[in-house]
Amino acid sequence: MTRSRTVLLAVLAVLGLLAAACSSSGTSSSSATTTPTGGGAEWSGNTINVPADYPTIQEAVNAAQPGDLILVGSGIYKEAVDVETPGLTIRGLDRNATILDGEFTRDNGIRVLGASNVTVQNMTARNYTGNGFYWTGVTGYHGSYLTAYRNGDYGIYAFDSVRGQFDHSYASGSPDAGFYIGECFPCDAAILDVISEYNGLGYSGTNSGGNLVIANSEFAHNRAGLVPNSGSYELCYPERDTTIVGNLVHDNGDDPNTPAIDVAKLAMGTGILPAGGRNNLIQNNRVYNHERVGIGLVPFPEENPKDDLPTGDELTMPCSQARTLPRADKASLPGTLLWDAMGNTVKGNVVSGSGLADLAFGSLGTTNDPLGNCFEGNTFTTSAPANIETVMACQNPSGAFTGTLDLATLIATERPPSGDYKTQPVPPDQPNMPDAANAPGMPAVNVPEKVDVNSIQVPAAK
Amino acid sequence: MTEVVPAPRRHRGALLVGLSLAVVGVLVAGAVLLLGPGGDEDQAAATGATGFQDGPQGLVPQFIVSCAYSHSATNDPIVWPGQPGRSHRHDFFGNRTTSDSSTPDSLLGQPTSCERQLDTAAYWAPSLFDHGEPVAPLGLDAYYRPGPGIDPASVVPYPHGLMMISGDHTATEPQSTQFVGWACGIQGEMQVTPPTCPADAPLRLKVVFPDCWDGVNLDSETHKSHVAASVGGSCPDTHPVAIPQLTIAIGYPISGEGHELTLASGTVLTGHADFVNSWDEKELTRQVERCLNRGLVCGVVNNKAEDVVRPMPVRP
Repeated sequence: MTRSRTVLLAVLAVLGLLAAACSSSGTSSSSATTTPTGGGAEWSGNTINVPADYPTIQEAVNAAQPGDLILVGSGIYKEAVDVETPGLTIRGLDRNATILDGEFTRDNGIRVLGASNVTVQNMTARNYTGNGFYWTGVTGYHGSYLTAYRNGDYGIYAFDSVRGQFDHSYASGSPDAGFYIGECFPCDAAILDVISEYNGLGYSGTNSGGNLVIANSEFAHNRAGLVPNSGSYELCYPERDTTIVGNLVHDNGDDPNTPAIDVAKLAMGTGILPAGGRNNLIQNNRVYNHERVGIGLVPFPEENPKDDLPTGDELTMPCSQARTLPRADKASLPGTLLWDAMGNTVKGNVVSGSGLADLAFGSLGTTNDPLGNCFEGNTFTTSAPANIETVMACQNPSGAFTGTLDLATLIATERPPSGDYKTQPVPPDQPNMPDAANAPGMPAVNVPEKVDVNSIQVPAAK
Repeated sequence: MTEVVPAPRRHRGALLVGLSLAVVGVLVAGAVLLLGPGGDEDQAAATGATGFQDGPQGLVPQFIVSCAYSHSATNDPIVWPGQPGRSHRHDFFGNRTTSDSSTPDSLLGQPTSCERQLDTAAYWAPSLFDHGEPVAPLGLDAYYRPGPGIDPASVVPYPHGLMMISGDHTATEPQSTQFVGWACGIQGEMQVTPPTCPADAPLRLKVVFPDCWDGVNLDSETHKSHVAASVGGSCPDTHPVAIPQLTIAIGYPISGEGHELTLASGTVLTGHADFVNSWDEKELTRQVERCLNRGLVCGVVNNKAEDVVRPMPVRP
């Protein structure tokens, strides 16, 4: 694993972009907590119709009681809807014709603020400067049969929220991620049967994990497929315990016209690339046609860290508890904090057509011995290091590392600039949910559904 | 920077990553520009006031507004009202009509350069010059939060027409980086003078406004004495009303070496900024109640490339 100082510096400098691009402005350390509103655990039986009862979705939401169903007819709704009432179900009658439009001047299509158990179904959000659909500070959320495209940050997004699910949804044309679940542990969440394409990243999640399952979905033609990461610039570090299983991940990095934040440009041409993540399970995915790496485990060097690495019981306590711990003294922190990829298992995947390596592991200055990542039972042709399933076997690894992943080569190439998210293609119509007009209200209480991870097989190629 | 919740440092052990960190540490020491101490803290130390809130995103409630650069002029409707051309040059953000004669009422309902169309407040700061030439800013991010340690439920919206100035335009000594500083990118440390920034995290001027109000005056002779910074998580008796702590961060296309930076007000030590609350009143109240009072992170400035501080279309 020896490597020249020059290369290491280059890697540090360029990977540092991750920190810069993912970073947020300084916030403080007071101990404010979210206070989800209670109630709304069941459908009230009441239905409010838009536009018949109220001309706008926001007015209907304002008038609704916890547990109500709001049915939104076809039309273009030039609104940014805030939801503060728990247990609502907000549903479009036609996914492709009930359209929230931000006209590139409004920030979020539907933003759920601390209101628990809110479900949003069967509609489209486009042209928002921020996000299509966004839940923050909630317990219980459900986004289903949603389409989000041409949005300036994320398509479908949950932050600081637990017990949720995104399914049967589609996101394209966001410079950041199509789907994002971040700042939660345990998240108790799932992303199932979604399509994420032509985004900067197919999936991103900073500091999420703990019963977080991403399964049976397609991540294609993004700059990079799935790129969760760790970092102390947001709470709940590290990223960990995420299960990525049975997904079709292909052709990410093939379209230079996609919009892309810096991280997406940096990771361009990779399929699945947890950066500084721990104890993730990446299993039975089909991953093909990537200019650089199919599935790679890499470190994340964080510039200007806000805390040091968590250890001991800090790693197992829920984020609701960990977030109250005092942070390390500023003076004691290094200029760059290294989040290594640790304890990850890559198993049973079918990976092909990768320019540098189908399977890869990279570190800065250490072998895998203290990190405990492993590869087993994958179908692949190339790897870095060579013989990755021997030298990084899950049982009794042996042999010397040769042909290790050159992180500098991985990230140093010039990348096409971001395309304009405002001019990305309009996606084709997507399937409607069953019986939108007559199905009962469905507050987000029984989510995520239980996923039998080990029953999920490698999907067929397209 | 200041820890708002003082507590003993938790026990840490760098076990598994020790080797890696040691290696990286050596490299970083040689390769990374080590940032100096956070500047002259005397002013803050003298009053005990704290301002800049550093730390992981998500710890405190907030809502944010991103605004494009609107226009520049030698006007200042707070300090030199009705006297066009009297002021040093300012860069204006938010309300697109801000001029020497603007009043809170004249600003209401006018077009804005902010993504949030009902933020029709006026924000401005002295223009930055590089080798004597004005630099067109990339844009402004405004963060609205409870002040450090302030009970989020106690924060009330600014009254319509509240005017504030933070920072000292006559400073010849470093100002406290609790309130005024330069940084690289969204994440960087507050510095007394502009650091050399990488291209992907260009220069920002950050100014933190007072978070306590006297409850009576919208302005004052000094344009400062009607508001004050909280101390130790409380507003002083003289300024008992907790208002949102506004932090603005103005981005500039300045990175790398070879710059010779000054502000329209003087040296780079004279950083300051002005704010007139001409928000749509209902919308500001909604944001304060929904986000700050309920303890919610309603938005974050993160996961964006710096170049995403983008110009917004002018609304007719």
